[in-house]
Amino acid sequence: MTPTIFIIDDEPAVRDALTMMIEQEGFQVKAFDGGEAFLADYQQEELGCAIIDVRMPSMSGLSLQKEMINRHILLPIIFLTGHGDIPMSVSAIKSGAIDFLTKPVTREKLLASIRPAVIESEKKLSQAACVEEAKSLVDSLTEREREVMLLAINGFPNKEIARRLQISHRTVEIHKSKIMHKTGAINLLDLASIAREGGCES
Amino acid sequence: MRINLDDSFESLSFFALFNAVADAMLLVNKEGQVVLANHPAQAMFGYSADAMVGISVEMLMPESYRQHHAHLRKHFFSNPEKRSMGRGKNLVVLTQHGQELPVDIGLSPILYEDMPYVLVTFHLTEKQILAEASLKASEERLRLAKLSAGLGVFDIDLRHNSVTYDSHIQDFFDFPHDNGVTYNQFVEAIDATDQADWHAVFTRAIKIESDSVYQVEFRISNADNQPKRWLHAAGKVFFNEHVAVRMLGVVKDITEHILLQQELSKQQIELEALAKTQIAIQTASAIAHEINQPLAAISAYSEVALYALKAENIDMNRLNRSLLGCVTQAQRAGKSLHELMEFFQKGDIEASPIDLHGVLREAVNITQYSGYGGFQSSLHLEPNLPPVLANRTQLQKVIVNILRNGIEAAHLAGIPVAKIQVLLRTHAQSNMAEVIIQDNGPGLTPDVQRRIFEPFFTTKSQGIGMGLTVSRSLIEACGGQLWFDANSSVGASFHLTLPFAKN
Repeated sequence: MTPTIFIIDDEPAVRDALTMMIEQEGFQVKAFDGGEAFLADYQQEELGCAIIDVRMPSMSGLSLQKEMINRHILLPIIFLTGHGDIPMSVSAIKSGAIDFLTKPVTREKLLASIRPAVIESEKKLSQAACVEEAKSLVDSLTEREREVMLLAINGFPNKEIARRLQISHRTVEIHKSKIMHKTGAINLLDLASIAREGGCES
Repeated sequence: MRINLDDSFESLSFFALFNAVADAMLLVNKEGQVVLANHPAQAMFGYSADAMVGISVEMLMPESYRQHHAHLRKHFFSNPEKRSMGRGKNLVVLTQHGQELPVDIGLSPILYEDMPYVLVTFHLTEKQILAEASLKASEERLRLAKLSAGLGVFDIDLRHNSVTYDSHIQDFFDFPHDNGVTYNQFVEAIDATDQADWHAVFTRAIKIESDSVYQVEFRISNADNQPKRWLHAAGKVFFNEHVAVRMLGVVKDITEHILLQQELSKQQIELEALAKTQIAIQTASAIAHEINQPLAAISAYSEVALYALKAENIDMNRLNRSLLGCVTQAQRAGKSLHELMEFFQKGDIEASPIDLHGVLREAVNITQYSGYGGFQSSLHLEPNLPPVLANRTQLQKVIVNILRNGIEAAHLAGIPVAKIQVLLRTHAQSNMAEVIIQDNGPGLTPDVQRRIFEPFFTTKSQGIGMGLTVSRSLIEACGGQLWFDANSSVGASFHLTLPFAKN
């Protein structure tokens, strides 16, 4: 899958030049003249990163970052700025930005930031995919199976689970084998991590 | 006890009596020369002990009486008799210092060793005694005032080049105790750098055609290594027969005042420097932003071109586009810089009487043909308008800037035909001409109205926001004002005033 680099800058010439430069590296590029246009377009998570100009007229780069965090957008951010403003860059990096680059930026520096950003994006996407998968696995369990799973991953032996749920020891064993089968967990530890990722906290 | 007048006081001399009496007395010979003057006479006429002996009595009266008196004197000696002089007339004597005193005069002929003499006695008239009492009181008041104000007084005798002074002057100048100094010593005490100032003031004040009052500030450097003190002297010169004879002066120590003033002006300069630095920083930041964007684009375009050249099959389309981008962006950066420099250009700032009608017509023409887009203009001028005082080029720049803002605002709001009205009014009372420039655009929001004259405030995507800021200061420099009329019913309305040139 080809990563997509999103450029958000109000300056048409900068947008145009950066687009060509990044396209030459084999990336797909989508450019926007402001945060609003980007947010309107970005509906589904994509692999890649966002290059955002700090100083834009209606929505500043930092407000766009805040909005992306609010919307749980995973795309890593690289900021571009006219002049190095240290307090601003610190706050941007603390909020999770990959880098804070000064304009004019060289191809080398920009690529040196885009590559780790894309790797970060990949990681985030696969994590998100794991969570998604775990969620669907957990969702496939019945109400009773989920009860049994919670007690089991909290370390209760079958006898105790049977007593608490007032079911037979044998029934607990059947539930457990169904749970392991449905989730594909190889042992209790694996099951516990699937349950956690799937949002089934004990 | 009985006193025998005849023998006991026979030996009491005339001389002893002469000096013992409280009245002023002179013994004068036939030739009219003073041969003896007692202490009260010396005091009254202001002469030292021996200085009166030998002078002619005519010297002791105002010039206008002298010739006539010499004649009367001869007549008296031809028939000497004891009498009062010039009965009923208001007699006046002249003191050494040129003061005229009203007196009553008595004459007593005396024969001594066969030579005729006349003993002259002087009584200050009652009016004069009252005047002296009141003078004394006023001098006392003056002394108290002088004391509380810390004033020193000097008195320069210009005929003898000597200076007398009070204790304050003594302290200020570090002069010797009560002896007095020569005029040269007095001038020497003034700091070398300020002596020329003193001379200039002095030379002017002692001229008969001067108004005889003077004031001057100078430093004195008395004690070694002591900081110099600043003094302010003011006073009056007195003339006798068109010749300056006396220069009185009151001196005040203004060192503290001068130091405070210097400190204040230093602070003022520092404050102005700080403001200038702030403006410089803002300006630099505006320039940086205006130039950095095209630079960023040029840098990226160039690298795109370089990369394209390295490929085996050169992507001519991409190469072409990126190089074109470089050119456009470099041009744009240059244009921004020129625009910026135009605002800060000082150029000719001399104001001169100019024809306001001509400037308005020219400005409208320039705007019409300088690519801001066409517009309809209507000029409502005042016939027979006298010239106003302004700098032609700058005023033109200001008006073009306002016209251009109006046209751009109208176009931006999608109004098909920008219309601009230019009105002229005269204000006879304040001696000002007023120009009103009104557009048919959407007007200004309250927020923009509030900030429109702030430096670097702009609503345009391109532009540095200095136009109105600089315009206002240019108009103010000519003595006029530039403001936005918030009550205008349509569009934006700018007003500017300029003073009429004086004939």
